[in-house]
Amino acid sequence: MAKRLLYFNGLAILGVMLFHGTGWGFVAMFSWAARYQGATAVPFSQMGSPAYYALRAIEQLVAATIPAFLFVSGYFAAFAAGRSGMIAWRVVWGRVKKFLPPYFFWGVIALVMLAIQGIIFTPWRYLVSFLTGDMTPAYYYVPLIIQFYAISPFLAPLAKHHWRLLLLAAVLVQLAVQVAQMGVIMRWDMPAVFGFIAAWPKWFFPVRILWFVLGMVVGFHLSSFKEVLTRWRWALLALALLLLPSGILEWEWLLQQSGQPWVDHRETVLDSVYAVALIFAFLGFDQARLPGVKLISDLGSKAFGIYLAHIPVMEVVARGTYHVTPGLLAYQLPFAVLVALVSLVIPLLLMNFIDLLPPIRRYYNYVFG
Amino acid sequence: MNHETILLEYIKQELLRGRKSDLKVEDDLLSNGIIDSLGILQLVAFIEERFHIQVPDEDVVFENFQSVKVLSDYLAKF
Repeated sequence: MAKRLLYFNGLAILGVMLFHGTGWGFVAMFSWAARYQGATAVPFSQMGSPAYYALRAIEQLVAATIPAFLFVSGYFAAFAAGRSGMIAWRVVWGRVKKFLPPYFFWGVIALVMLAIQGIIFTPWRYLVSFLTGDMTPAYYYVPLIIQFYAISPFLAPLAKHHWRLLLLAAVLVQLAVQVAQMGVIMRWDMPAVFGFIAAWPKWFFPVRILWFVLGMVVGFHLSSFKEVLTRWRWALLALALLLLPSGILEWEWLLQQSGQPWVDHRETVLDSVYAVALIFAFLGFDQARLPGVKLISDLGSKAFGIYLAHIPVMEVVARGTYHVTPGLLAYQLPFAVLVALVSLVIPLLLMNFIDLLPPIRRYYNYVFG
Repeated sequence: MNHETILLEYIKQELLRGRKSDLKVEDDLLSNGIIDSLGILQLVAFIEERFHIQVPDEDVVFENFQSVKVLSDYLAKF
């Protein structure tokens, strides 16, 4: 089971590529429609088209990717604690300092790309960007995971000795966040505290705490979970398959109720249940033969580097298409898949290039982690 | 080559990419940030392929992967 987590990480990074690819697909569908429909393009006229639902289906399918990454990280926080159940601060620092150079490297590239587009910040704003990861929509993950490692020494004894209580607390916190966010979308009249919770940014650890805690709990109590998950694996898979279309319907309903033409996708309660079912089903099918083990596990080992590097590449590919071959933007599904594929291949080529050149090979970890 | 030498070489070349050529068998792999969580999994995959053994999940624990020496001692049991 544990050894499959590398493969799971590989699936998760493929999911991230597709998720961000579909994001650009929606940009092409709505914001860039005039580029292929002409000046008469009607905003959001393609809402509800087959391409729209195809992109939504992909987005929903891969909704478990960030939970999967955090789960794997939590699992290995438990690993680092060992049988003592204590995580040494130097282990935390050892982990955090590996994240920083690649994050800084790619963060600077993202900020330079913004500057090229005329978006220049004050020094204070640049500092805030690095602290929150908001130089791109995806880099929040790095401050988020650093926070989780920073609190892991406090979580570890709880995950080992009081895991039910910890899990319940994590479920309640995440539930509160998701209900509050849903309330904002639906314009519910909520108590002030929910308005406060809904404003928590995605880089703030309570927003995603369940996944890291779940990984830690499973890591500490593997044999107990293994037995249960193996027994219930088919039910878990069925639940995940059932929740996939339910999640799409839920989001459509939310969108309709919100009265807005578009709301950026965020994790809902159903998405969370789907992610739990999918993660547990994967772990439950421990003995199943998986396709492309070597290839996907290899991607899993490079996931952090791919995650950071694909964002600027994706931006260049998408904007390049806008300028060079705008006709392709009319075919949002192939466009999204193409953007995802190219943005996976280019970082991999770059990784292999650096890996094969002895004079610069030693700097690989500073660029890709 | 014995386990220690093979593991040391793999970690230096594949996981550290020649960054820390003075790695010793007693060095604490996790506490010193030499390898991370995914590195542990890569190491397990390498061990299984190279030494033709199956490392049970229950044995993928910090106590068996603390250093190259500890890991070699664990592998000697197979």
